[in-house]
Amino acid sequence: MSLQAEPPEIERWTEPPGRSYLAISELVAAPLLERRQWRWRAWWIAFGIASGLTLIMAICMSWLFATGVGIFGNNTTIVWGLPIADYVWWIGIGNAGTLISSMLLLMRQRWRASINRFAEAMTLFAATIAGLFPIMHLGRPEYFYWLLPYPNTMVVWPQWRSALIWDFWAISSYILFSILFWYVGLIPDLATLRDRAKTAFPRSFYGALALGWRGSARHWYFYEHYHLTMACLAVPLVVSLHSVVGMDFAASLMPGWQESIFPPYFVVGAMYSGFAMVVLLTALVRWGFNLQPLITAEHFNVMAKIMLAASIIMGLSYLTEWFAAWYHGERAERWLVGFEFTGGYAPVYWCMLLFNCIVPQLFWFVRIRCSIVAVVVIAILINVGMWLERIEIVWNTLSHDFLPSMWRIFIPTFWDWALLFSSLGFFGFLYLLLARIFPMVSMHETRRLIYEESHQ
Amino acid sequence: MSQVKQHPPASPSALNRRAALKLLGSGLALTLSSCGRPHEEIVPYVEMPEGLVPGVPMKFATTLALAGYGRGALAISVDGRPIKIEGNPRHPASLGATDVFAEAEIMSLYDPDRAKAPRTKDDVVTWDAFAQALFAQMQQEKARHGAGLRIVTGRITSPTLLRQINALLTQYPEARWYSYEPISDDAAFDGSMLAYGRRLAALPRLADAAVVLSLDADPLGAGPRQIADARAFSQRRTRQAQPFLRLYTVEPEWTLTGANSDHRLALHPDLIRNFALAVTAQMQGENAPDLPDPVAHFAKICADDLKANKSKALVLVGRRQPPELHALGHWLNAQLNAPVDFIAPADGNPLGDAQALQTLSRDLDDGRVETLAIVGANPVYDTPADLGLAHKIGKVAFSVHLGLHENETADQCSWRLPMSHTLESWSDLRAFDGTASIVQPLILPLYDSRQAHDLLGLMAGTIAPSAYDLVRQTWQAQRSGGDFDTWWKQTLHDGVVANSAAARVATGAPKRPDVKPAQAARGLSLLLGADPSVWDGRFANNAWLQECPHPFTKEVWGHGIYLSPGDARRLNIADRETIEVWHDSASLRAPARVREGQADGVIAVELGYGRTRAGAIGNGIGVNAYPLRTTASPWLISDVSLRGTGEIRNVPLLQHNFDLEGDGKDLYPVLTLAELAQGKQPPDHDYENRPTLYAKVNYDSYAWAMVIDTSLCIGCNACVVACQAENNVPVIGPEEVAMGRDMHWLRVDRYVPDPERPPGFQPVPCMHCEQAPCEPVCPVAASVHDGEGLNAQVYNRCIGTRFCQSNCPYKVRRFNWFGYADGQEYADLGADSVRASHNPDVTVRGRGVMEKCTYCIQRINRARHHAEIVDQPIPDGAVVTACQAACPTRAITFGNRNSKASAITALRREPHHYALLGHLGTRPRTTYLARLRNPNPAMQEKAQA
Amino acid sequence: MTEVLLAEFPGAAALLETARKARPAGYRPLDAFTPFAVEGLAEAVGARGSHVRVAMFIGGVAIAAMAYATEYFSAVIDYPINSGGRPLNAWPAFMLFPFAVGIFGAAVSGLIALFMHSGLPGLHHAIFAVPGFERVSQDAFLLALDSPRDEAELQRARDWLREAGALAIWEIKT
Repeated sequence: MSLQAEPPEIERWTEPPGRSYLAISELVAAPLLERRQWRWRAWWIAFGIASGLTLIMAICMSWLFATGVGIFGNNTTIVWGLPIADYVWWIGIGNAGTLISSMLLLMRQRWRASINRFAEAMTLFAATIAGLFPIMHLGRPEYFYWLLPYPNTMVVWPQWRSALIWDFWAISSYILFSILFWYVGLIPDLATLRDRAKTAFPRSFYGALALGWRGSARHWYFYEHYHLTMACLAVPLVVSLHSVVGMDFAASLMPGWQESIFPPYFVVGAMYSGFAMVVLLTALVRWGFNLQPLITAEHFNVMAKIMLAASIIMGLSYLTEWFAAWYHGERAERWLVGFEFTGGYAPVYWCMLLFNCIVPQLFWFVRIRCSIVAVVVIAILINVGMWLERIEIVWNTLSHDFLPSMWRIFIPTFWDWALLFSSLGFFGFLYLLLARIFPMVSMHETRRLIYEESHQ
Repeated sequence: MSQVKQHPPASPSALNRRAALKLLGSGLALTLSSCGRPHEEIVPYVEMPEGLVPGVPMKFATTLALAGYGRGALAISVDGRPIKIEGNPRHPASLGATDVFAEAEIMSLYDPDRAKAPRTKDDVVTWDAFAQALFAQMQQEKARHGAGLRIVTGRITSPTLLRQINALLTQYPEARWYSYEPISDDAAFDGSMLAYGRRLAALPRLADAAVVLSLDADPLGAGPRQIADARAFSQRRTRQAQPFLRLYTVEPEWTLTGANSDHRLALHPDLIRNFALAVTAQMQGENAPDLPDPVAHFAKICADDLKANKSKALVLVGRRQPPELHALGHWLNAQLNAPVDFIAPADGNPLGDAQALQTLSRDLDDGRVETLAIVGANPVYDTPADLGLAHKIGKVAFSVHLGLHENETADQCSWRLPMSHTLESWSDLRAFDGTASIVQPLILPLYDSRQAHDLLGLMAGTIAPSAYDLVRQTWQAQRSGGDFDTWWKQTLHDGVVANSAAARVATGAPKRPDVKPAQAARGLSLLLGADPSVWDGRFANNAWLQECPHPFTKEVWGHGIYLSPGDARRLNIADRETIEVWHDSASLRAPARVREGQADGVIAVELGYGRTRAGAIGNGIGVNAYPLRTTASPWLISDVSLRGTGEIRNVPLLQHNFDLEGDGKDLYPVLTLAELAQGKQPPDHDYENRPTLYAKVNYDSYAWAMVIDTSLCIGCNACVVACQAENNVPVIGPEEVAMGRDMHWLRVDRYVPDPERPPGFQPVPCMHCEQAPCEPVCPVAASVHDGEGLNAQVYNRCIGTRFCQSNCPYKVRRFNWFGYADGQEYADLGADSVRASHNPDVTVRGRGVMEKCTYCIQRINRARHHAEIVDQPIPDGAVVTACQAACPTRAITFGNRNSKASAITALRREPHHYALLGHLGTRPRTTYLARLRNPNPAMQEKAQA
Repeated sequence: MTEVLLAEFPGAAALLETARKARPAGYRPLDAFTPFAVEGLAEAVGARGSHVRVAMFIGGVAIAAMAYATEYFSAVIDYPINSGGRPLNAWPAFMLFPFAVGIFGAAVSGLIALFMHSGLPGLHHAIFAVPGFERVSQDAFLLALDSPRDEAELQRARDWLREAGALAIWEIKT
């Protein structure tokens, strides 16, 4: 799967202008310290839009908590709706960052050096936003903390058999873990910023965060130990996280959910949409910070290959589902597959297949893979397709399960859509702020990259 | 905002000092703290310690009226608040069961829109003011011997009220009393006139029948006789029944009777007489009128079957059929020596409904009416349009309306008087078979209301005795000797006047009417009918009934115009497309509902909707079909025009999919007696022997279980409303339902397992699975299992993840998307009066929590308390769930499956016992008996041929 | 009072080579400072094996065990309820919570170990006083030797470093 990205055709992952230690520091640090070399206007415009959407999200949430979860399109049969799909989608995106940093690190994919930092940042925010949705979807969100085991006046405990409990802990652990992973990876770069800072405030700010990093061989020694082990732990954590998300559905007895393929299939799906989102951000960061020397078309080429592999696996997963439904023989399972293709949501299903399985096949052509525009466009389609897949998983099964008398159709309301799109804005809001404060590319890892490139 | 919704005074400006004083007097500021038991002694149904024990429910026997006929009831009252209606086993029209209307009377009692004080057109007045005005008016009437006095009522069977009316008529010889029912039985009575020369009511004994042919008759459908007929029918439809009744139905549109028949034929109303003639001819060996081949074949087989079962065969003719067909029915029954009795009708109405209304209308035209008293009726709304009463009544100088609501008629009257609800009144009523019973109040009138007895007393002018005394007088007069008070106490306690049923009338041989074959109708005909939820419109403001699904379409909050698929194709009308139907000047606009099994050439619509002065709940729901009605032909309007508007509307439905394609049939197994005899079993019969990985939990105390016999369920919905009343299930309103939401804990699914056959009904409460899928998925243990196998939902622990419902294969859980009972109620259902209807033993659920059927755990616990007091195990039958108590056919059985002797254990051993979706390994506690059918083999052969 | 001889080298390769040669040449390398991790450098300057991973393992397992204990106590001992007829100790379902928090526990204990080993956070350090030390975090490669006491030895060390390609040399007293 996506880990089998072939070794790059060329050995160098940087352009000449970026091939000196100083140049790297310049490229990455200047925007933060000297406000040079980046697109101010673009940032402000983007930030304005993002803030607006964030405000809308705040309004949605206030209205939701004031009025009740009934503002969504859910009904007696389809008790789960868009927020759950949004949650799965965001958490999927939230996977790719840690995945790139850890898995590619272990696979010795050196090209990750220039993209892993902002991929990790993406993880933090995506996972955090994802965590909001299940809470917003609760009937009584004010009591979400009852999932915690603490001695309480009701003297009852969480019900550990519930996939939602697994989910709750998997996400919390994952978010906290990712913060650690991201921050530790950041420390040496914070030291760089500390040392490049000309004025007092940035110096003390970055200085404090750098924790007094001196770049001593001993620091590096223990740091490497820790970072590598974290990477080793991150891989199973990422995999388990999305497996658990898959089990939110698989650990039921509903047709179309109760499938042993779900955990791996969800993991791949997560990487798929995650990488698509990374491609999008890579393009933006590259353009916004003029990082062409460090992020080359070759990076897009490789990620396109990974997405291609993932899309094939997704296709296989769908095939497996259909086969399983037929082979399983349960009446409701077969009804469901028929419903997917011909029922009330059929157009959505067809679109999903087109975006997730057909379109990405264009990546077989190297010209497409090397055209950044093409890769970005397809990546966007994949993200749409993956959202469609998530909503299909949620509402197909619920709309069309065992008893025909309760078959109903879900019609999203204004609030369903508002929350989805405003959450995108909130993500942009957080991300743009981060881009103003922390380096978007790992300087020390890039230095090491060009060092190793020049000494092989 | 309609005037009905306003609590007087109409507007603050109207509240001058005078009005304010009257407000005080009229007790509008009434709060429920003033709920109390009536002054007079009322007698509880079960013996109770002296005085009232707080919080302990007491049952009082009383009587509820439907279309004037009484249905015995036991009203459950807690701390002086009636909260639930149950049937009275000793009453022939109840037999311990209820119907939707009886169950919903609680909601009617607490309806916030009830008339609360006497009013004139624009002012709140006191009863004294009205009494004075009336006195003056009656003086004038006295002068002209009541020539200007007209009294209009619905059907009246109350001996006391009849006594008062007759007294008044003797006092005012020129005065006239007109009574009518919109759902009229004129045709039946006229039929008996034709056949026997007398006005007789026929009482067919279904329990003694082996073969029944129903010609557009609907004994199982809503009506004053529904419970009695359904019970009799069900006695002949159990596996053990000998013989097992076979039911043939010929009808233009679906009725519950048609749905429960073994063979059904959809036929245009005009052709039904030809069918009847064909049956007659076949039986008499005469030559039949020519009919299409399948119809003729059906007639032949019916005739043979009837003939072969002489003295056990019965022909029923519906109220929508013409008198001569009723007469023919009587004649056929006579030939078959059918099990049917005749009695003199219980109501004192000599002229039929139509004639009464026509005379009234003529009197109004001639300006002969000076004083008009309308008691409990709503002629402005529910009389045929050709009489134009709506305009005429308004012209009467002195008109009085006494009613529960200030309805369309009150709006036209000079005096609008609030009437007490039955549960606030003393009276008496007769059942369809003449059995009399006392109406005793459970609560003081909530508002400043009076009842019919009081109004008539005022009209009589004397210092009127109270209704209580009037009723006692009536019965004291009929008692010769004996201690009356003992008798009275006993009668109140039993809820039935002992052996007061009307004497069976010995009839001579009926005349054979000369029925001419009808021409097959050319144009499109419109068929009207009573509504299963709002009857003739009088229940339109009852939220429970508005949200009670139509048995066939499962539509709530309104109705559609039903077309056959053939007509829909011919006229190019899509389902749910808004169509316009007009005849002469009157027209209807409503969504078309295309349904299989509707006769071609006839469209159907129910009466009782389109109210304008019903109240916050009923106003503007559905369309009013009365304007299309004519006195000449009250049920069938021929040559109506129809056109589609192309606009498709989303109608609020509680069930969207009815077909069971392919192996979906397993969900609703149907067995013929023959198949059962061959030992065929429904799938999921031995679901309990399926392999499982889980250790068996043993329930050593009680193991509660429910068995529902789908061959007995007639789909009447009584259980649905009973559950709603018992468990404080909120009403959510049409908009929410249109979104696909609903709150009923118990739903009655209708399935069409075989397009060739009638559909069947499957009540679905919570299955209380032993291996419940909903429980392990709840992260906070809000859905847990108790030691007796109940699947309990802990409301105050629930945080609303809804995983339980998404993982419930039966989808029986219900979620409070909003605070339906908790601050976000629909319309005016948040009013204090509605809160008073809540059952104090059941939590009112808040926003954001999941709820569902509890097997009426509060009733289990009450039984447990009683058992613990006497230190005995809970006996079988001591726990009766609300749905079980309501069921007219006893299709629902509840009990302890651990006790070998219990009824439930016996039912679970039946060969056609099965568990819904048993193959999923959920081990449900609620299980079913497959639907049994008794088709005529002769009919099968034809089908194969 | 120790004296440190600090030499800057043009690149990671030169630094590494010198650091490796230092000990045979009779000098005691104390530490090295680089803008990125250079493989083998730590060993060359004599960094001893770390306990980071041990700490992570122990921490992770401990937290996971605690998590399972919580589950067992609450579901089997303290408040056993019949949930869909499932066993009280449903170990397959009980695995995921310990797994997730276990990994997080490992991460945290690892971070603590890292800090204890590397003496972070420590915002102040004498070496920051060295002019141009700020470039260590960008493109400077420094080697720190324990400087000999007597003058002749010190001079020899300087020469040796120059031969090895040092660009600049400082003496620091701490």
